[in-house]
Amino acid sequence: MRQIKSVLNKTSYMIFFIVFSGTMLFPFIFIFFSSFKTPKDIMAIPPSILPDKWILSNYMDAFTIQPLHIYLRNSFITSILVVMITIVIGSMAAYALSRTNIKGKKVFLVFLLAISLLPPVTIINPIYQLLSSLKLLNSYIGLALVITVLELPLVVWMLTAYFNTLPKSLEESGEIDGANIIQIFTKILFPLIGPGIFTVSILVFINAWNQFLFALVLNPYESHRAITVGLTLYKTDYVVPWGVLSSAAVITVIPLIVMILLLQKRILSGVLEGGVKE
Amino acid sequence: MDRKTKIGYLFLLPAGLLMVIMVLYPVINTFYLSLFEYRVQTMALGKVFVGLENYKKIISDETFWNSFTWTVQFTFISVILELIIGMALALIMNRKIPGQSIIRTIILIPWAIPTIVSGMMWAYLFGQYGMINEILLNIGIIHESIPWFTEEMWAKTAIIIADVWKTTPYMSLLILGGLQTVPKTLYEAADIDGANIMQKFLKITLPSIKPALVIAVLFRVVAALRIYDLIAAMTSGGPAGTTESLSIYTVSTYFRFGNIGYGSALAVVMLIVSLLISLLFVDALKSKVDE
Repeated sequence: MRQIKSVLNKTSYMIFFIVFSGTMLFPFIFIFFSSFKTPKDIMAIPPSILPDKWILSNYMDAFTIQPLHIYLRNSFITSILVVMITIVIGSMAAYALSRTNIKGKKVFLVFLLAISLLPPVTIINPIYQLLSSLKLLNSYIGLALVITVLELPLVVWMLTAYFNTLPKSLEESGEIDGANIIQIFTKILFPLIGPGIFTVSILVFINAWNQFLFALVLNPYESHRAITVGLTLYKTDYVVPWGVLSSAAVITVIPLIVMILLLQKRILSGVLEGGVKE
Repeated sequence: MDRKTKIGYLFLLPAGLLMVIMVLYPVINTFYLSLFEYRVQTMALGKVFVGLENYKKIISDETFWNSFTWTVQFTFISVILELIIGMALALIMNRKIPGQSIIRTIILIPWAIPTIVSGMMWAYLFGQYGMINEILLNIGIIHESIPWFTEEMWAKTAIIIADVWKTTPYMSLLILGGLQTVPKTLYEAADIDGANIMQKFLKITLPSIKPALVIAVLFRVVAALRIYDLIAAMTSGGPAGTTESLSIYTVSTYFRFGNIGYGSALAVVMLIVSLLISLLFVDALKSKVDE
Protein backbone atom coordinates (compact mmCIF):
# COMPACT_ATOMS: atom_id res chain seq x y z
CA MET A 1 0.00 0.00 0.00
CA ARG A 2 2.66 2.38 1.07
CA GLN A 3 4.71 1.63 -2.04
CA ILE A 4 1.75 2.27 -4.33
CA LYS A 5 1.21 5.57 -2.59
CA SER A 6 4.79 6.67 -3.07
CA VAL A 7 4.77 5.66 -6.73
CA LEU A 8 1.58 7.66 -7.20
CA ASN A 9 3.18 10.61 -5.46
CA LYS A 10 6.25 10.32 -7.66
CA THR A 11 4.15 10.13 -10.81
CA SER A 12 1.95 13.07 -9.91
CA TYR A 13 5.02 15.04 -8.95
CA MET A 14 6.64 14.24 -12.31
CA ILE A 15 3.49 15.39 -14.09
CA PHE A 16 3.48 18.60 -12.06
CA PHE A 17 7.15 19.17 -12.81
CA ILE A 18 6.68 18.75 -16.56
CA VAL A 19 3.55 20.91 -16.75
CA PHE A 20 5.14 23.58 -14.57
CA SER A 21 8.45 23.78 -16.46
CA GLY A 22 6.63 23.64 -19.79
CA THR A 23 4.33 26.51 -18.87
CA MET A 24 7.12 28.64 -17.46
CA LEU A 25 9.59 28.06 -20.26
CA PHE A 26 7.45 27.49 -23.34
CA PRO A 27 6.92 31.12 -24.43
CA PHE A 28 10.63 31.82 -24.30
CA ILE A 29 11.60 28.54 -25.97
CA PHE A 30 9.12 29.21 -28.76
CA ILE A 31 10.51 32.70 -29.34
CA PHE A 32 14.04 31.31 -29.25
CA PHE A 33 13.32 28.77 -32.00
CA SER A 34 11.30 31.31 -33.99
CA SER A 35 14.34 33.57 -34.14
CA PHE A 36 16.00 30.95 -36.40
CA LYS A 37 13.03 30.44 -38.72
CA THR A 38 12.76 31.49 -42.34
CA PRO A 39 9.79 33.77 -43.21
CA LYS A 40 8.18 30.71 -44.79
CA ASP A 41 8.38 28.80 -41.50
CA ILE A 42 7.09 31.80 -39.57
CA MET A 43 4.04 31.94 -41.84
CA ALA A 44 3.44 28.19 -41.75
CA ILE A 45 -0.08 27.04 -40.88
CA PRO A 46 -0.24 25.11 -38.62
CA PRO A 47 2.74 26.61 -36.78
CA SER A 48 5.61 24.36 -35.79
CA ILE A 49 7.87 24.71 -32.79
CA LEU A 50 11.17 23.84 -34.48
CA PRO A 51 12.38 25.60 -37.62
CA ASP A 52 12.43 23.51 -40.82
CA LYS A 53 15.55 25.27 -41.90
CA TRP A 54 17.78 27.10 -39.41
CA ILE A 55 18.92 30.58 -40.44
CA LEU A 56 20.87 33.35 -38.70
CA SER A 57 19.73 36.23 -40.90
CA ASN A 58 17.01 37.33 -38.43
CA TYR A 59 19.80 38.30 -36.05
CA MET A 60 21.59 40.28 -38.74
CA ASP A 61 18.32 41.99 -39.66
CA ALA A 62 17.56 42.80 -36.03
CA PHE A 63 20.72 44.93 -35.98
CA THR A 64 20.24 46.54 -39.38
CA ILE A 65 16.51 47.38 -39.25
CA GLN A 66 16.98 49.03 -35.87
CA PRO A 67 20.35 50.06 -34.34
CA LEU A 68 20.02 47.38 -31.68
CA HIS A 69 23.65 47.75 -30.59
CA ILE A 70 22.98 51.39 -29.68
CA TYR A 71 19.92 50.41 -27.66
CA LEU A 72 21.92 47.70 -25.89
CA ARG A 73 24.62 50.20 -25.02
CA ASN A 74 22.04 52.72 -23.78
CA SER A 75 20.28 50.20 -21.56
CA PHE A 76 23.60 49.04 -20.13
CA ILE A 77 24.79 52.56 -19.35
CA THR A 78 21.47 53.58 -17.77
CA SER A 79 21.18 50.39 -15.70
CA ILE A 80 24.77 50.58 -14.43
CA LEU A 81 24.27 54.25 -13.53
CA VAL A 82 21.10 53.38 -11.64
CA VAL A 83 22.91 50.65 -9.71
CA MET A 84 25.77 52.97 -8.79
CA ILE A 85 23.60 55.87 -7.66
CA THR A 86 21.11 53.73 -5.73
CA ILE A 87 23.84 51.85 -3.89
CA VAL A 88 25.66 55.04 -2.84
CA ILE A 89 22.69 57.09 -1.68
CA GLY A 90 20.71 54.03 -0.61
CA SER A 91 23.42 52.69 1.69
CA MET A 92 23.96 56.14 3.20
CA ALA A 93 20.26 56.40 3.96
CA ALA A 94 20.16 52.84 5.27
CA TYR A 95 23.07 53.56 7.61
CA ALA A 96 21.34 56.66 8.94
CA LEU A 97 18.13 54.71 9.55
CA SER A 98 19.87 51.74 11.15
CA ARG A 99 22.58 53.39 13.24
CA THR A 100 21.69 56.93 14.26
CA ASN A 101 18.95 58.39 16.46
CA ILE A 102 17.76 61.01 14.03
CA LYS A 103 14.19 62.24 14.16
CA GLY A 104 11.86 61.69 11.25
CA LYS A 105 12.83 58.09 10.49
CA LYS A 106 9.15 57.13 10.38
CA VAL A 107 8.29 59.94 8.00
CA PHE A 108 11.10 58.84 5.71
CA LEU A 109 9.99 55.19 5.77
CA VAL A 110 6.35 56.10 5.08
CA PHE A 111 7.53 58.25 2.19
CA LEU A 112 9.54 55.32 0.82
CA LEU A 113 6.55 53.04 1.12
CA ALA A 114 4.39 55.62 -0.64
CA ILE A 115 6.81 55.63 -3.59
CA SER A 116 6.41 51.91 -4.10
CA LEU A 117 2.62 52.24 -4.01
CA LEU A 118 2.51 55.22 -6.34
CA PRO A 119 1.21 54.88 -9.91
CA PRO A 120 3.99 56.20 -12.21
CA VAL A 121 1.50 58.24 -14.27
CA THR A 122 0.99 60.48 -11.24
CA ILE A 123 4.50 61.86 -11.59
CA ILE A 124 5.33 61.31 -15.24
CA ASN A 125 4.24 64.66 -16.67
CA PRO A 126 5.90 66.92 -14.05
CA ILE A 127 9.08 64.83 -14.37
CA TYR A 128 8.96 65.23 -18.14
CA GLN A 129 8.59 69.02 -17.77
CA LEU A 130 11.31 69.14 -15.10
CA LEU A 131 13.86 67.18 -17.15
CA SER A 132 12.89 69.20 -20.21
CA SER A 133 13.70 72.49 -18.44
CA LEU A 134 16.96 71.02 -17.10
CA LYS A 135 17.87 69.89 -20.66
CA LEU A 136 17.97 66.30 -19.40
CA LEU A 137 15.51 64.69 -21.80
CA ASN A 138 17.37 62.16 -23.97
CA SER A 139 20.16 61.79 -21.43
CA TYR A 140 21.42 58.84 -19.41
CA ILE A 141 21.55 60.65 -16.10
CA GLY A 142 18.00 62.05 -16.26
CA LEU A 143 16.35 58.67 -16.81
CA ALA A 144 18.77 57.03 -14.36
CA LEU A 145 17.79 59.46 -11.58
CA VAL A 146 14.10 58.79 -12.15
CA ILE A 147 14.57 55.01 -12.07
CA THR A 148 16.78 55.48 -8.99
CA VAL A 149 13.92 57.07 -7.07
CA LEU A 150 11.62 54.21 -8.05
CA GLU A 151 14.20 51.65 -6.85
CA LEU A 152 15.08 53.42 -3.59
CA PRO A 153 12.35 51.71 -1.52
CA LEU A 154 13.73 48.27 -2.38
CA VAL A 155 17.35 49.28 -1.82
CA VAL A 156 16.95 51.21 1.42
CA TRP A 157 14.63 48.54 2.83
CA MET A 158 17.02 45.70 2.13
CA LEU A 159 20.23 47.49 3.08
CA THR A 160 18.71 48.69 6.36
CA ALA A 161 17.89 45.07 7.16
CA TYR A 162 21.51 44.10 6.38
CA PHE A 163 22.94 46.87 8.57
CA ASN A 164 20.65 45.82 11.40
CA THR A 165 22.25 42.38 11.39
CA LEU A 166 25.72 43.79 12.10
CA PRO A 167 26.71 44.19 15.76
CA LYS A 168 27.16 47.80 16.91
CA SER A 169 30.43 46.85 18.63
CA LEU A 170 32.14 46.83 15.23
CA GLU A 171 31.77 50.55 14.76
CA GLU A 172 32.50 51.26 18.40
CA SER A 173 35.84 49.52 18.14
CA GLY A 174 36.50 51.52 15.00
CA GLU A 175 35.62 54.73 16.81
CA ILE A 176 37.97 53.88 19.68
CA ASP A 177 40.75 53.42 17.12
CA GLY A 178 39.95 56.94 15.97
CA ALA A 179 38.50 56.05 12.59
CA ASN A 180 36.17 58.63 11.08
CA ILE A 181 32.75 57.81 9.69
CA ILE A 182 33.96 57.44 6.12
CA GLN A 183 36.63 54.96 7.22
CA ILE A 184 34.18 53.02 9.36
CA PHE A 185 31.88 52.88 6.39
CA THR A 186 34.39 51.80 3.78
CA LYS A 187 36.72 49.67 5.91
CA ILE A 188 34.38 47.98 8.38
CA LEU A 189 30.74 48.02 7.27
CA PHE A 190 30.89 47.86 3.49
CA PRO A 191 33.04 44.73 3.32
CA LEU A 192 30.69 42.96 5.73
CA ILE A 193 27.50 43.74 3.85
CA GLY A 194 29.25 43.31 0.50
CA PRO A 195 27.22 40.21 -0.39
CA GLY A 196 24.02 42.04 0.46
CA ILE A 197 25.01 44.99 -1.68
CA PHE A 198 25.78 42.65 -4.54
CA THR A 199 22.35 41.00 -4.26
CA VAL A 200 20.56 44.34 -4.21
CA SER A 201 22.62 45.49 -7.22
CA ILE A 202 21.46 42.53 -9.29
CA LEU A 203 17.80 43.14 -8.48
CA VAL A 204 18.13 46.85 -9.26
CA PHE A 205 19.95 46.14 -12.52
CA ILE A 206 17.18 43.80 -13.67
CA ASN A 207 14.49 46.35 -12.78
CA ALA A 208 16.34 49.18 -14.51
CA TRP A 209 16.91 47.06 -17.63
CA ASN A 210 13.20 46.24 -17.77
CA GLN A 211 11.93 49.80 -17.33
CA PHE A 212 9.68 50.82 -20.20
CA LEU A 213 7.28 53.71 -19.61
CA PHE A 214 9.75 56.30 -18.32
CA ALA A 215 12.31 55.24 -20.92
CA LEU A 216 9.69 55.72 -23.64
CA VAL A 217 8.62 59.17 -22.47
CA LEU A 218 11.95 60.63 -21.31
CA ASN A 219 14.37 59.24 -23.91
CA PRO A 220 12.47 59.13 -27.20
CA TYR A 221 15.44 59.69 -29.52
CA GLU A 222 17.50 56.90 -31.03
CA SER A 223 20.73 58.13 -29.42
CA HIS A 224 19.46 57.33 -25.90
CA ARG A 225 16.62 54.91 -26.60
CA ALA A 226 16.36 51.93 -24.25
CA ILE A 227 16.23 48.43 -25.67
CA THR A 228 12.74 47.77 -24.29
CA VAL A 229 11.50 50.79 -26.26
CA GLY A 230 13.53 49.85 -29.35
CA LEU A 231 11.83 46.45 -29.41
CA THR A 232 8.44 48.02 -30.05
CA LEU A 233 9.67 49.66 -33.26
CA TYR A 234 10.04 46.55 -35.42
CA LYS A 235 6.30 46.32 -35.80
CA THR A 236 4.74 48.41 -38.56
CA ASP A 237 1.04 48.98 -39.18
CA TYR A 238 0.99 46.30 -41.85
CA VAL A 239 3.44 43.66 -40.76
CA VAL A 240 4.87 42.13 -37.65
CA PRO A 241 8.21 40.59 -38.67
CA TRP A 242 8.04 37.87 -36.02
CA GLY A 243 11.36 36.27 -36.96
CA VAL A 244 13.32 39.50 -36.55
CA LEU A 245 11.31 40.53 -33.53
CA SER A 246 12.02 37.17 -31.89
CA SER A 247 15.75 37.67 -32.42
CA ALA A 248 15.63 41.14 -30.92
CA ALA A 249 13.64 39.79 -27.97
CA VAL A 250 16.18 37.00 -27.42
CA ILE A 251 19.00 39.56 -27.43
CA THR A 252 17.12 41.71 -24.91
CA VAL A 253 16.59 38.78 -22.58
CA ILE A 254 20.00 37.08 -22.89
CA PRO A 255 21.79 39.27 -20.31
CA LEU A 256 19.02 38.53 -17.82
CA ILE A 257 19.01 34.78 -18.49
CA VAL A 258 22.80 34.66 -18.07
CA MET A 259 22.46 36.52 -14.76
CA ILE A 260 19.83 34.07 -13.54
CA LEU A 261 21.89 31.03 -14.49
CA LEU A 262 25.03 32.38 -12.83
CA LEU A 263 23.48 34.06 -9.82
CA GLN A 264 20.21 32.27 -9.17
CA LYS A 265 21.01 31.57 -5.51
CA ARG A 266 21.73 35.20 -4.86
CA ILE A 267 18.71 36.49 -6.75
CA LEU A 268 16.50 34.02 -4.92
CA SER A 269 17.80 35.01 -1.52
CA GLY A 270 17.25 38.63 -2.48
CA VAL A 271 13.68 38.03 -3.58
CA LEU A 272 12.95 35.79 -0.60
CA GLU A 273 14.28 38.35 1.85
CA GLY A 274 11.67 40.36 0.08
CA GLY A 275 11.57 43.98 0.27
CA VAL A 276 9.17 45.71 -1.92
CA LYS A 277 9.36 45.33 -5.60
CA GLU A 278 7.39 45.83 -8.77
CA MET B 1 23.24 67.36 18.62
CA ASP B 2 26.15 64.91 18.72
CA ARG B 3 28.36 64.15 15.76
CA LYS B 4 26.68 60.89 14.91
CA THR B 5 23.23 62.44 14.69
CA LYS B 6 24.59 65.13 12.40
CA ILE B 7 26.05 62.43 10.20
CA GLY B 8 22.69 60.69 10.22
CA TYR B 9 20.90 63.73 8.83
CA LEU B 10 23.67 64.34 6.34
CA PHE B 11 23.48 60.74 5.09
CA LEU B 12 19.72 60.84 4.68
CA LEU B 13 19.93 64.05 2.70
CA PRO B 14 20.80 62.83 -0.84
CA ALA B 15 18.06 60.18 -0.92
CA GLY B 16 15.60 62.57 0.73
CA LEU B 17 16.36 65.36 -1.71
CA LEU B 18 15.94 63.11 -4.71
CA MET B 19 12.62 61.86 -3.33
CA VAL B 20 11.37 65.40 -2.81
CA ILE B 21 12.42 66.57 -6.28
CA MET B 22 11.33 63.49 -8.23
CA VAL B 23 8.23 62.41 -6.28
CA LEU B 24 6.84 64.94 -3.81
CA TYR B 25 7.10 67.96 -6.10
CA PRO B 26 5.68 66.06 -9.11
CA VAL B 27 2.70 64.78 -7.09
CA ILE B 28 1.90 68.28 -5.81
CA ASN B 29 2.38 69.67 -9.32
CA THR B 30 -0.02 67.10 -10.79
CA PHE B 31 -2.66 68.01 -8.18
CA TYR B 32 -2.17 71.69 -9.00
CA LEU B 33 -2.34 71.27 -12.79
CA SER B 34 -5.49 69.15 -12.50
CA LEU B 35 -7.34 72.35 -11.56
CA PHE B 36 -6.50 74.05 -14.86
CA GLU B 37 -7.55 73.98 -18.49
CA TYR B 38 -4.08 73.50 -19.93
CA ARG B 39 -3.11 72.05 -23.30
CA VAL B 40 0.16 71.68 -25.18
CA GLN B 41 -1.50 73.05 -28.35
CA THR B 42 -2.42 76.31 -26.59
CA MET B 43 0.54 76.52 -24.24
CA ALA B 44 1.36 80.02 -25.45
CA LEU B 45 -1.96 81.21 -24.00
CA GLY B 46 -1.01 79.76 -20.63
CA LYS B 47 -3.36 77.91 -18.28
CA VAL B 48 -6.82 78.86 -17.15
CA PHE B 49 -8.00 78.02 -13.64
CA VAL B 50 -11.18 75.93 -13.83
CA GLY B 51 -11.39 74.45 -10.32
CA LEU B 52 -12.89 70.96 -10.28
CA GLU B 53 -14.13 71.18 -13.88
CA ASN B 54 -11.74 68.41 -15.07
CA TYR B 55 -13.04 66.08 -12.38
CA LYS B 56 -16.62 66.77 -13.38
CA LYS B 57 -15.66 65.88 -16.93
CA ILE B 58 -14.18 62.58 -15.75
CA ILE B 59 -17.49 61.59 -14.14
CA SER B 60 -19.29 61.80 -17.48
CA ASP B 61 -16.36 60.46 -19.54
CA GLU B 62 -17.34 57.11 -20.99
CA THR B 63 -13.77 56.26 -22.02
CA PHE B 64 -12.68 56.80 -18.43
CA TRP B 65 -15.36 54.51 -17.02
CA ASN B 66 -14.58 51.78 -19.54
CA SER B 67 -10.89 51.84 -18.71
CA PHE B 68 -11.63 52.11 -15.00
CA THR B 69 -13.95 49.10 -15.02
CA TRP B 70 -11.53 47.03 -17.08
CA THR B 71 -8.55 47.98 -14.91
CA VAL B 72 -10.41 46.98 -11.74
CA GLN B 73 -11.62 43.74 -13.37
CA PHE B 74 -8.12 42.94 -14.52
CA THR B 75 -6.63 43.64 -11.09
CA PHE B 76 -9.19 41.57 -9.24
CA ILE B 77 -9.06 38.51 -11.48
CA SER B 78 -5.27 38.54 -11.95
CA VAL B 79 -4.42 38.92 -8.29
CA ILE B 80 -6.88 36.21 -7.19
CA LEU B 81 -5.45 33.77 -9.74
CA GLU B 82 -1.88 34.68 -8.82
CA LEU B 83 -2.64 34.21 -5.17
CA ILE B 84 -4.16 30.75 -5.62
CA ILE B 85 -1.55 29.43 -8.06
CA GLY B 86 1.29 31.20 -6.23
CA MET B 87 0.22 29.64 -2.94
CA ALA B 88 0.09 26.16 -4.50
CA LEU B 89 3.55 26.60 -6.02
CA ALA B 90 4.99 27.93 -2.78
CA LEU B 91 3.63 24.97 -0.81
CA ILE B 92 5.20 22.57 -3.32
CA MET B 93 8.53 24.43 -3.33
CA ASN B 94 8.58 24.44 0.45
CA ARG B 95 8.75 20.64 0.62
CA LYS B 96 11.86 18.57 0.21
CA ILE B 97 11.43 17.57 -3.40
CA PRO B 98 13.76 16.44 -6.16
CA GLY B 99 14.71 19.12 -8.66
CA GLN B 100 14.16 21.86 -6.07
CA SER B 101 16.87 24.15 -7.40
CA ILE B 102 15.81 23.61 -11.02
CA ILE B 103 12.27 24.68 -10.15
CA ARG B 104 13.52 27.74 -8.33
CA THR B 105 15.69 28.73 -11.28
CA ILE B 106 12.92 28.20 -13.82
CA ILE B 107 10.52 30.26 -11.76
CA LEU B 108 12.83 33.27 -11.96
CA ILE B 109 12.67 33.43 -15.75
CA PRO B 110 9.16 34.89 -16.20
CA TRP B 111 9.91 37.27 -13.34
CA ALA B 112 13.14 38.57 -14.90
CA ILE B 113 11.93 38.92 -18.49
CA PRO B 114 10.91 42.51 -19.27
CA THR B 115 7.13 42.88 -19.32
CA ILE B 116 7.33 44.34 -22.80
CA VAL B 117 9.02 41.15 -24.03
CA SER B 118 6.57 38.83 -22.31
CA GLY B 119 3.74 40.86 -23.84
CA MET B 120 5.21 40.36 -27.31
CA MET B 121 5.80 36.66 -26.75
CA TRP B 122 2.20 36.12 -25.70
CA ALA B 123 0.90 38.28 -28.53
CA TYR B 124 2.75 35.93 -30.88
CA LEU B 125 1.46 32.80 -29.17
CA PHE B 126 -2.13 34.07 -29.14
CA GLY B 127 -2.12 34.97 -32.86
CA GLN B 128 -4.94 33.81 -35.15
CA TYR B 129 -2.77 30.96 -36.47
CA GLY B 130 -0.61 30.94 -33.37
CA MET B 131 0.59 28.21 -31.08
CA ILE B 132 -2.14 28.55 -28.43
CA ASN B 133 -4.96 27.98 -30.92
CA GLU B 134 -2.97 25.14 -32.45
CA ILE B 135 -2.51 23.43 -29.07
CA LEU B 136 -6.16 23.92 -28.08
CA LEU B 137 -7.35 22.58 -31.45
CA ASN B 138 -5.09 19.55 -31.12
CA ILE B 139 -6.25 18.73 -27.62
CA GLY B 140 -9.80 19.12 -28.87
CA ILE B 141 -10.85 21.80 -26.37
CA ILE B 142 -11.95 24.04 -29.23
CA HIS B 143 -13.06 23.24 -32.78
CA GLU B 144 -12.31 26.54 -34.43
CA SER B 145 -9.61 29.11 -33.76
CA ILE B 146 -10.33 31.65 -31.05
CA PRO B 147 -10.07 35.26 -32.35
CA TRP B 148 -7.90 36.33 -29.42
CA PHE B 149 -7.27 39.91 -30.46
CA THR B 150 -10.37 40.83 -32.41
CA GLU B 151 -12.91 40.18 -29.68
CA GLU B 152 -12.90 42.15 -26.46
CA MET B 153 -13.54 39.26 -24.10
CA TRP B 154 -10.81 37.09 -25.63
CA ALA B 155 -8.33 39.97 -25.71
CA LYS B 156 -8.94 40.61 -22.02
CA THR B 157 -8.56 36.90 -21.28
CA ALA B 158 -5.25 36.81 -23.16
CA ILE B 159 -3.93 39.80 -21.20
CA ILE B 160 -4.90 38.23 -17.89
CA ILE B 161 -3.25 34.91 -18.82
CA ALA B 162 -0.03 36.70 -19.81
CA ASP B 163 -0.04 38.71 -16.59
CA VAL B 164 -0.65 35.66 -14.41
CA TRP B 165 2.24 33.87 -16.15
CA LYS B 166 4.54 36.81 -15.56
CA THR B 167 3.75 37.65 -11.96
CA THR B 168 2.71 34.39 -10.28
CA PRO B 169 6.36 33.32 -9.86
CA TYR B 170 7.17 36.43 -7.87
CA MET B 171 4.07 36.00 -5.76
CA SER B 172 4.98 32.38 -5.06
CA LEU B 173 8.49 33.41 -3.97
CA LEU B 174 7.08 36.03 -1.60
CA ILE B 175 4.76 33.41 -0.11
CA LEU B 176 7.65 30.93 0.07
CA GLY B 177 9.62 33.54 2.02
CA GLY B 178 6.76 33.61 4.51
CA LEU B 179 6.50 29.81 4.65
CA GLN B 180 10.18 29.44 5.49
CA THR B 181 9.74 31.44 8.68
CA VAL B 182 7.10 29.10 10.12
CA PRO B 183 8.77 27.12 12.94
CA LYS B 184 8.87 23.37 12.26
CA THR B 185 8.03 22.61 15.89
CA LEU B 186 4.49 23.87 15.34
CA TYR B 187 3.90 21.16 12.75
CA GLU B 188 5.50 18.53 14.92
CA ALA B 189 3.18 19.46 17.78
CA ALA B 190 0.20 19.31 15.42
CA ASP B 191 1.30 15.86 14.25
CA ILE B 192 1.32 14.64 17.83
CA ASP B 193 -2.23 15.98 18.22
CA GLY B 194 -3.17 14.05 15.08
CA ALA B 195 -4.05 17.04 12.90
CA ASN B 196 -4.62 16.36 9.20
CA ILE B 197 -3.08 18.30 6.31
CA MET B 198 -6.01 20.66 5.90
CA GLN B 199 -6.15 21.47 9.61
CA LYS B 200 -2.43 22.14 9.64
CA PHE B 201 -2.77 24.48 6.67
CA LEU B 202 -5.68 26.44 8.13
CA LYS B 203 -4.51 26.50 11.74
CA ILE B 204 -0.76 26.88 11.38
CA THR B 205 0.38 27.78 7.88
CA LEU B 206 -2.16 30.47 6.99
CA PRO B 207 -2.03 32.42 10.27
CA SER B 208 1.79 32.32 10.24
CA ILE B 209 2.16 33.65 6.72
CA LYS B 210 -0.74 36.07 6.88
CA PRO B 211 1.42 39.19 7.36
CA ALA B 212 3.64 38.32 4.38
CA LEU B 213 0.57 37.40 2.34
CA VAL B 214 -1.28 40.64 3.05
CA ILE B 215 1.71 42.75 2.04
CA ALA B 216 2.24 40.68 -1.11
CA VAL B 217 -1.40 41.11 -2.11
CA LEU B 218 -1.33 44.84 -1.51
CA PHE B 219 1.75 45.36 -3.64
CA ARG B 220 0.37 43.16 -6.39
CA VAL B 221 -2.95 45.02 -6.36
CA VAL B 222 -1.40 48.47 -6.72
CA ALA B 223 1.01 47.17 -9.37
CA ALA B 224 -1.85 45.58 -11.33
CA LEU B 225 -3.85 48.81 -11.17
CA ARG B 226 -1.05 50.66 -12.93
CA ILE B 227 -0.66 48.10 -15.74
CA TYR B 228 0.79 49.67 -18.87
CA ASP B 229 3.63 47.73 -20.55
CA LEU B 230 1.84 44.43 -20.98
CA ILE B 231 -1.20 45.92 -22.70
CA ALA B 232 0.94 48.26 -24.79
CA ALA B 233 2.85 45.22 -26.09
CA MET B 234 -0.11 42.87 -26.55
CA THR B 235 -3.07 44.86 -27.85
CA SER B 236 -2.10 48.56 -27.76
CA GLY B 237 -5.48 48.97 -26.07
CA GLY B 238 -7.41 47.28 -28.89
CA PRO B 239 -9.80 45.99 -30.16
CA ALA B 240 -11.32 49.48 -30.51
CA GLY B 241 -9.81 50.74 -27.25
CA THR B 242 -11.61 48.15 -25.12
CA THR B 243 -8.44 46.99 -23.35
CA GLU B 244 -7.12 50.47 -22.57
CA SER B 245 -6.08 50.55 -18.93
CA LEU B 246 -6.22 53.68 -16.77
CA SER B 247 -2.47 54.21 -17.18
CA ILE B 248 -2.66 53.92 -20.95
CA TYR B 249 -5.58 56.35 -21.08
CA THR B 250 -3.76 58.83 -18.84
CA VAL B 251 -0.47 58.64 -20.74
CA SER B 252 -2.18 59.11 -24.10
CA THR B 253 -4.19 62.07 -22.71
CA TYR B 254 -0.87 63.66 -21.73
CA PHE B 255 1.48 62.82 -24.55
CA ARG B 256 -0.72 62.04 -27.53
CA PHE B 257 -3.49 64.61 -27.05
CA GLY B 258 -1.38 67.09 -25.10
CA ASN B 259 -4.20 67.67 -22.63
CA ILE B 260 -2.17 68.30 -19.49
CA GLY B 261 -4.98 69.55 -17.24
CA TYR B 262 -7.26 66.60 -17.92
CA GLY B 263 -4.40 64.09 -17.83
CA SER B 264 -3.42 65.42 -14.42
CA ALA B 265 -6.96 64.95 -13.14
CA LEU B 266 -6.93 61.34 -14.40
CA ALA B 267 -3.56 60.80 -12.70
CA VAL B 268 -4.94 62.18 -9.43
CA VAL B 269 -7.91 59.81 -9.65
CA MET B 270 -5.47 56.91 -10.07
CA LEU B 271 -3.45 58.09 -7.08
CA ILE B 272 -6.60 58.34 -4.94
CA VAL B 273 -7.71 54.83 -5.93
CA SER B 274 -4.27 53.43 -4.99
CA LEU B 275 -4.34 55.40 -1.75
CA LEU B 276 -7.79 54.12 -0.75
CA ILE B 277 -6.70 50.54 -1.38
CA SER B 278 -3.51 51.09 0.61
CA LEU B 279 -5.59 52.42 3.52
CA LEU B 280 -7.41 49.09 3.66
CA PHE B 281 -4.03 47.53 4.40
CA VAL B 282 -2.82 50.21 6.75
CA ASP B 283 -2.30 47.90 9.74
CA ALA B 284 -0.07 45.59 7.73
CA LEU B 285 1.89 48.58 6.43
CA LYS B 286 2.27 49.98 9.93
CA SER B 287 3.96 46.82 11.13
CA LYS B 288 6.29 47.01 8.15
CA VAL B 289 7.39 50.54 9.03
CA ASP B 290 7.71 49.71 12.73
CA GLU B 291 9.96 46.71 12.17
